[in-house]
Amino acid sequence: MKRKTIDILLAAVMTAASVTGCGGSGSGAESEPAAAQTESASEEGGGQTEADVSEPVTLTVLAGQSTTDAGIEDMIDEALAEQYPNITLEWECVDWGNDFQPKMQQYMQSGLPDIMIGKAQDVATYAPQGILGEIDSTYLDRGLDAARENVTIDGKTYGLVYNALYQGVYYNKTMFAENGWEIPKTQEDLQAIIDDCKAKGITPFASHMVDTWSIGNVTMQFMMNDVFNNDPEWGDKFRAGEVSFSEDQAAQTAYQYNKLIFDNTYPETFSTEQTDCDAKMVLGEAAMKVSGSWSIQNFLDIDESFDFGIFPFPNQTGDSKLIFEPNITVMTSAQSEHQDAINCVLDVLTGNQELATEIYDYTKTASMLKDVTPTFANPSQSDIDSYASDGMIVDVTLGNNQLVWGGFQEENAKDIAAWLQGDITFEDALAASDARVDASSAN
Amino acid sequence: MKQKKKRAMEKNLEKQYFVMVLPGMVIFTIGLIVPMFMAFRYSFTSWDGMTAEKPFVGLQNYIDLLHDADFRAAWWFTLKFTVCNTIIQNVLALVFAVALDSGIKAQKLYRTAFFIPCLISSLIVGFVWLKMFSNVLPALNDLLGTNFNFLLLGDGKTVLSGLLIANNWQWIGYWMLIYLAGLQSIPAELHEAAKVDGANALTRFIHVTIPMLAPAITICVVGITTGSLKVYDLLVSSTKGGPGRASTSIIYQTYATAINGRQYGYGSAMSVTLVFVLLLVALIQVKGLKSREVQQ
Repeated sequence: MKRKTIDILLAAVMTAASVTGCGGSGSGAESEPAAAQTESASEEGGGQTEADVSEPVTLTVLAGQSTTDAGIEDMIDEALAEQYPNITLEWECVDWGNDFQPKMQQYMQSGLPDIMIGKAQDVATYAPQGILGEIDSTYLDRGLDAARENVTIDGKTYGLVYNALYQGVYYNKTMFAENGWEIPKTQEDLQAIIDDCKAKGITPFASHMVDTWSIGNVTMQFMMNDVFNNDPEWGDKFRAGEVSFSEDQAAQTAYQYNKLIFDNTYPETFSTEQTDCDAKMVLGEAAMKVSGSWSIQNFLDIDESFDFGIFPFPNQTGDSKLIFEPNITVMTSAQSEHQDAINCVLDVLTGNQELATEIYDYTKTASMLKDVTPTFANPSQSDIDSYASDGMIVDVTLGNNQLVWGGFQEENAKDIAAWLQGDITFEDALAASDARVDASSAN
Repeated sequence: MKQKKKRAMEKNLEKQYFVMVLPGMVIFTIGLIVPMFMAFRYSFTSWDGMTAEKPFVGLQNYIDLLHDADFRAAWWFTLKFTVCNTIIQNVLALVFAVALDSGIKAQKLYRTAFFIPCLISSLIVGFVWLKMFSNVLPALNDLLGTNFNFLLLGDGKTVLSGLLIANNWQWIGYWMLIYLAGLQSIPAELHEAAKVDGANALTRFIHVTIPMLAPAITICVVGITTGSLKVYDLLVSSTKGGPGRASTSIIYQTYATAINGRQYGYGSAMSVTLVFVLLLVALIQVKGLKSREVQQ
């Protein structure tokens, strides 16, 4: 009898769980997902909630960090303690590539942190859900205008872009000078350098393919210059069935560049991590590396006198642009009860030039604030300035919004790796990307 | 009167058992049973994990799974990893346990040395072996002038071997202790009686030791099999499921699909297949191995 009662109780609990668990149409405000609640709150905009920062306030922060960013939370804490001692930040730092999106999914069900730090492309993913608060123009005005473009939706800006990365081919300046190599503008130029490298026993490219993100990252660089520069709406057309990876020559060429790298790097690339790869580059074991500013930190940590430059990976038409990526992007919760305190944090981030310089110098990244310039010696800065003055820089957020990272670029990178390993054919890799079309957009 | 007292006592005991079981049952129900049923419910939806709407799609996710090459590849890797692991880990754990039980010197030192790796997180183990295979062992090649291929994790054809080495290094000591405890609980008289009957060491091992170890074998086989089917953390820090998809386990694929790929409903269908297989495997193994225990 007892056993029967327990059985019935258990069955009731399970049934109730399966019925209520989905809870899609739950009407209780407290149990409703954050995504569904926030429309009215977001309309209130920043600075509407009256929070008294003269009282101690603890703000929760979810920080999706790049490899360069770990440690900046201590700098921010220190600066905040000086300017606003009543505000404490409770940090949850995760890897942006692997863990930021899962964390956001979790918090969208249970309630968002007050502040979220991700990348500019996250705004396109989360702002349409109505969960992000609008950033006050007081703080946005302290940043560069270029920083706003890809974080503004329907005239409202939901992200404060704090720094930027540049992506392209890092090259060993000394090695280039010694061998008389010019900066390649076309594929033929690049092939000539590769051939000369091979003739002289030099590995042309350093690469670390054990990290799938690395393959995904360089593929987007290739896609930017061979696909999106010519057709900024390629992703929309892909979803509309007008273009596909299996049929589009330019997209296939972008994938094929991975093979060019793979055929011209060291054999252990699938066992090599970024740190080891960067070390090989600094130690002169390779001439070039398709990468981004995140490598600078390693380059200079290993050898602060390492002389390197950057150029865009040459495309088929010889008009490649250097890739620019807005990186640290501060977003706020539309639901936060501490909007005034959040604004104080934004004030510290954008108004404290000493802190900004410290962060830029530490992360070895470019400033997105007006009148703030990093003081670290960046040997590739002259190249960046040169491309900037020629208007040969393009924001990769365009490509990342057209074809999202999580679930699409990331998965395609795995297929590219499988193709490079000989596990599947090139056609299979293209077909797999096509089959993933539904996952190519954030919304 | 006596009967009444006995019944009252039994009722009292039942109440006590119920009270003792209740906390565990509540935690188990909330932490495992409820999410399992939720996943089962989600598996009939196309929910992306973010929006409030969870559109019902019936069996479509399960139909899609049948045509999903990545899903099949993930299961194939998981099965290979599980079968190899179960065989290698059981055999080596038993061999080491027998060796340690034979009265060799410094037994405690060996026992500790074998056991320590299982105290380390699998994430760390994955990272350690990635470094071993890609940095430490190739450096040994340079030092010794040899040319062994240690880059096991960097090639789809050898990645399984590399992961098996890492996983077995970590867990053999743990299962060895269970076998060792089983060996030490076998009455010495049984071996002596077999000796008197003229049985040699091998015969004694097969006809006395193995049957008496049947309960330990059940624990180890079920534990290793279910543990291997759930492999995830080792992969995260060593191969990230690669190269390509060569070491993507079913849990890794489920996580990538449901969370990173924002296909929560489809990912839930994947997880349901895993739960089903886990239950089936555990049931078959426990039934099969338990029946052997009874026969002995």
